[in-house]
Amino acid sequence: MEPITRRSPVVFDRPVKNKHIRDNWEIVLEYDNEGPGPHLVDLSHRSRWDIQDNQLDGYRPFQISIPQAPGQCMFKGGLLINRMNRTQASIWHLAGDTPDVPADPAYTDTTDGTVFLALFGKNGFAIAQKLSALDFLEPSSRAPFLLQGPFAHVPCQIVVMEKTAESAGILLTCSRGYARDMVHAILDAGRQFGLLPAGEAAFSNWIEKL
Amino acid sequence: MNRLDGLPTCRIDSSRKIEFSWQNRRFTGVAGDTVATALYAGGVRIFSRSLKYHRPRGLYSLDGESSNTCVGIDGIPNVSAENTVLKEGMQVRAQNVMGTPRLDLMGFLDKLDWAMPAGFYYRTMHRPAAVWPIALKQVRKMAGLGKISPDFQMPGRFDEIYPTADVCVIGGGPAGLSAALAAAGTGLRVIVMESRPWLGGFFDFRVCEYRPGLPLYERAAELAAQVEKAANIQVFKNTAMVGAYSNNLITAFQKGEADDPFDERYIEVRAKSVVVATGCMERPLLFENNERPGVMQAACAHRLAHTYGLVAGQKAVFSIGHDLGIEAAIDLFDLGLEVSCVADIRKEGQDRELVEKLAERGIDFLPGWTAVDCSGKTVKSARLCNLDTYVQEQFECDLLVASAGMTPVTGPLCLAQAKMAYDAHTGYFLPRQLPARVHACGRLLGLNDAAAIEVSGQVAGYSATLDCGVSVEEGLRQAREKLDSLAGPAKGCDLVMAPVKGRKAFICFDEDTTVKNIKQTLAMGFDATELIKRFSAAGTGPAQGAIPGHNLALFVARYHGRSSAITQPTTVRDPLVPVHIATYAGAYHDMCKRTPMHDAQKTAGGIMQRIGVWKRARYFSSDTACTAEIENVRNNVGMLDATTLGKFRIWGPDAVKALQRVYISDMSKIREGRIKYSAMCNEDGCIIDDGVVVKRGENDYYFTTSTARAGQTVEWFRYHSRYDNWDFNMVNLTDAYGVINLAGPNARKVLEKLTEADITNSAFAYGGFCEFKIKNTIPVRAMRLGFVGELSFELHVPSSYMQSLWAMLEEAGRPFNIQPFGLEAQNVLRMEKGHLIIGSESEQRTTLNDVGLSFLWDRSKSKAGTVGAVALMHTEKQEGRLKLVGFKMDNAQRAPRDGSIVVDQNVCGHVCIARYSTTLKEVIGMALVKDHLAGEGAQLDIYEDECNGQLMHAHVVKMPFYDVKGERLSM
Amino acid sequence: MALTLTCPICGERNGYEFRYGGEDKGPRPRAEDPAPGHWCEYVHMSPCVAGIRKEWWYHKDGCGVWFTTERDTTTSLEVKQPEKTR
Repeated sequence: MEPITRRSPVVFDRPVKNKHIRDNWEIVLEYDNEGPGPHLVDLSHRSRWDIQDNQLDGYRPFQISIPQAPGQCMFKGGLLINRMNRTQASIWHLAGDTPDVPADPAYTDTTDGTVFLALFGKNGFAIAQKLSALDFLEPSSRAPFLLQGPFAHVPCQIVVMEKTAESAGILLTCSRGYARDMVHAILDAGRQFGLLPAGEAAFSNWIEKL
Repeated sequence: MNRLDGLPTCRIDSSRKIEFSWQNRRFTGVAGDTVATALYAGGVRIFSRSLKYHRPRGLYSLDGESSNTCVGIDGIPNVSAENTVLKEGMQVRAQNVMGTPRLDLMGFLDKLDWAMPAGFYYRTMHRPAAVWPIALKQVRKMAGLGKISPDFQMPGRFDEIYPTADVCVIGGGPAGLSAALAAAGTGLRVIVMESRPWLGGFFDFRVCEYRPGLPLYERAAELAAQVEKAANIQVFKNTAMVGAYSNNLITAFQKGEADDPFDERYIEVRAKSVVVATGCMERPLLFENNERPGVMQAACAHRLAHTYGLVAGQKAVFSIGHDLGIEAAIDLFDLGLEVSCVADIRKEGQDRELVEKLAERGIDFLPGWTAVDCSGKTVKSARLCNLDTYVQEQFECDLLVASAGMTPVTGPLCLAQAKMAYDAHTGYFLPRQLPARVHACGRLLGLNDAAAIEVSGQVAGYSATLDCGVSVEEGLRQAREKLDSLAGPAKGCDLVMAPVKGRKAFICFDEDTTVKNIKQTLAMGFDATELIKRFSAAGTGPAQGAIPGHNLALFVARYHGRSSAITQPTTVRDPLVPVHIATYAGAYHDMCKRTPMHDAQKTAGGIMQRIGVWKRARYFSSDTACTAEIENVRNNVGMLDATTLGKFRIWGPDAVKALQRVYISDMSKIREGRIKYSAMCNEDGCIIDDGVVVKRGENDYYFTTSTARAGQTVEWFRYHSRYDNWDFNMVNLTDAYGVINLAGPNARKVLEKLTEADITNSAFAYGGFCEFKIKNTIPVRAMRLGFVGELSFELHVPSSYMQSLWAMLEEAGRPFNIQPFGLEAQNVLRMEKGHLIIGSESEQRTTLNDVGLSFLWDRSKSKAGTVGAVALMHTEKQEGRLKLVGFKMDNAQRAPRDGSIVVDQNVCGHVCIARYSTTLKEVIGMALVKDHLAGEGAQLDIYEDECNGQLMHAHVVKMPFYDVKGERLSM
Repeated sequence: MALTLTCPICGERNGYEFRYGGEDKGPRPRAEDPAPGHWCEYVHMSPCVAGIRKEWWYHKDGCGVWFTTERDTTTSLEVKQPEKTR
């Protein structure tokens, strides 16, 4: 019998250079010829939780304070906490060891509910404006910030991690079922800018520099 | 034709040749040409034949103001040659031509105009009634412009973009560029849309001086350079604005240039403020044969020379009504065009300097004269007439430059709901009332003076900046003061028509509407311009009334002897410019959901179909009756991918209250380890969803919904508790869990091989819920359900594990020959069991009671507090409702198609589903029928499409059809 | 739905991100046994006058909040910022 594995909904049609298995997930660390960027990285294996409670401000997930206002994000110790509304926030694990699953009923594991992608590098926003009318470059928003809205016509949670003249960094999650079409739409929109899929290593390098 | 090389205003590169074909003959254009200018340079004068009369038509304008130069390009009909940049290898064909454009066999129709008065298709050929269908066919065959093959596949790369902007400037001429620079100077994000391939507007092709030593075209280049340099201005050239909607939503489309990665792309901008700076076009002069090839507008002749290096003819007559016409005559004379005379409708008011320049060149200047007729298939001579004395004079010429004056391009403003009013001084329709956060500037306002045009742009730019909350009051005040000190709007020419009868004076080129047609329409009593437009078809062609728009309203006002002030132009509608549907579709990424088992099911022979937002396996073989799939479930074991079911977690102190509100049953007593089946109704008691709820902890529930309702369930819960302030939380887990329905008498034997959990019937009975691990790794939420009527386990597993579990089940089931089954097999299986699918066995009006599920309704619950309960109570005893029944066909071989109607004297219902049941060896089905047919044993007469009066017969029977006692699902 | 609506969580967005939830007619009637006409009135009847209406909207493509906002139905423009709603 085959070993039990967890699979991402995303499969990039590129030759794999380097991969490994972590917590039953088969993870591509690097593809052949990833190019200079912009890059699209599949992070669907990274743990994600929903935390929801009427008294949300009383929670400190992984000893991190949840940001006060909807749209605000907190990135600390490899974890990103995005305030969605008065009662709800999402928690995304971006770097470091996978944390333990919190036991409190306020948390729901949503890792398998969404596809998780990172789009970063030069012309990232030029790609984004082909897919969404959301205003990623609104001058008053300071990265990281959360936008909840349509991207390629699909409702998404989008966090702008980096917003500079040279470079964009966007994380997005949407319903897992859309994974293939979402990736197709993003790669298609990014083709003119040289967007290529990259492995997790490229993401880790980028997130470390932030 | 030789190009004038070395003109500084030229936008062509005559050293770079571009090959293309016209009517299958090889032509050569140059880089920078449009299809129209390349054809003109190649000597083509007749581009097409007109819609009704098959009159020859040629180049009249250069921005696509009429269908004269609509051609077929690479199989795409009705492409405006004027707006299409020439590309290598284009195959261009004339339209509406039988023969050649010069010798069109249908040309005789021009003589039959008496038989085709205004609205003739409404008035003639209708009696006797039998004539019309035949006539219609002929009219249809002859009318219309380009043709398209029904199986035509649109070639090209289409894209879309949704840029964000504070200020959106429509029009990249001097006013628009000034507005953009003013707004961008304050740091705002600005978008400029320009329909031509370059910025500069009507400065771009003119050589007269902006200020001493600086010609207009160089001034245009200065402005353009500043705009292109600004980091916060995004410029879209080759971009036609096509729509303006609520709160400044601007849509446009852009044609790609050679190095763009798209052929056309759709643009949508939501701007805080909009500046319209679309300038003016020329108002056509109405005289007999005013649309002959060889007649063209002044700017057309002017730009042909200055932008494209083409002198439009040998010998020209000018009949104009605006100083720009005189300027064109002078410039073209200097480039070698012989100018017989310049007739100006205006008796006085011309720029004296220009008149002197005419005199210097020995060109006859005839103020108070206008063209009244021209002759020749292409112009051979023109007749001019003095407007006071009616003295006429004939001039030989091959080019008649004709224009009554200018008219503002108000389309974008009108779409933005600006109120327009006639202005007697300029003769224009000017914006009298602008909507909030929309501004107009430049020639649109009647301005002529170059400096005033730019300053009006600055005023608009600052005003738009204020809309965005940036304080520029001082700049705005100064710009306004400056504008007041500059020349205001000039007096315009208001002549509508030369003194002619108008039998061949065309007010609308696209629809072949003559002045005579308008008079006929008026004589029939149509008085409102809007109705005259519809009856005479003037302005309903592809160019959206660009040619007749202004003249029609003026003509109607004059005809009634009213002052023009009370006339209104006809309504402008989007899209302003014809747009391919493909362009609106843009990149068209068909976004749909796939389950984790998508690929594996395809490999196993699954035929995938789009059902709602999902792609699902409908069949697993070419047998659409799915006999093998069905038999395998009934006799052995099968697997169905049911991932698309809606799945939710709801918890919190008030979770039960929320469940009680939306579910029709009593949800307060859900036992742990048991599943609760229930349904949701809308406020009308109509069933909208069904599913199961399980309790996983204190105030913590997991529930499923039908596939179709998954997207709206959280919304539904929150909507129906919106006034209650209840404390409950919800998470949509639809995509988080994959669902495998393992069904069939051998299901347990398969599952037992993968888990150590006790899944015997005594430990885990029908209707039970339990959680366990597969191979100590995969967490499973398992439900004993029986939708298909057999022993079955519905296994909910985290999506990422689903492929592994599927493979494990396949392997464990191999000794039993486990097989996947698809939706169609499930459809038959559940039908045999009498289980319904909401949306299939119910429709909009079907209540919970109608489908026989009233047992789910808990009457002891608060009716006012339960969505749908009040309506259920009121409709319970209502007569004449459609009820769900099971039926057997009298003929056991053939099933009626789903949706066939049940009839007696009237329509009494419809067949929801009917299939040949392999299990029962007869045709069974379910139907929604009027209550008088719902009793057991009632005969149903079924009418199927194309049954030729042969009704099919069935009898109502009790359900379920299969396993009445329900023993099989509780094995 | 070219209009814009101001979501109390996400701010001003394109109208097509939202679903209309009807005019604000207040909470469900509490009467346990209302006359059919009375109930129907509550469920289906709206004044639908041309002018400013208080309406429910759902931010379906965004944060998923139901909120009320006042909109001029003759221009389809919001006249007031929405109330903060859960």
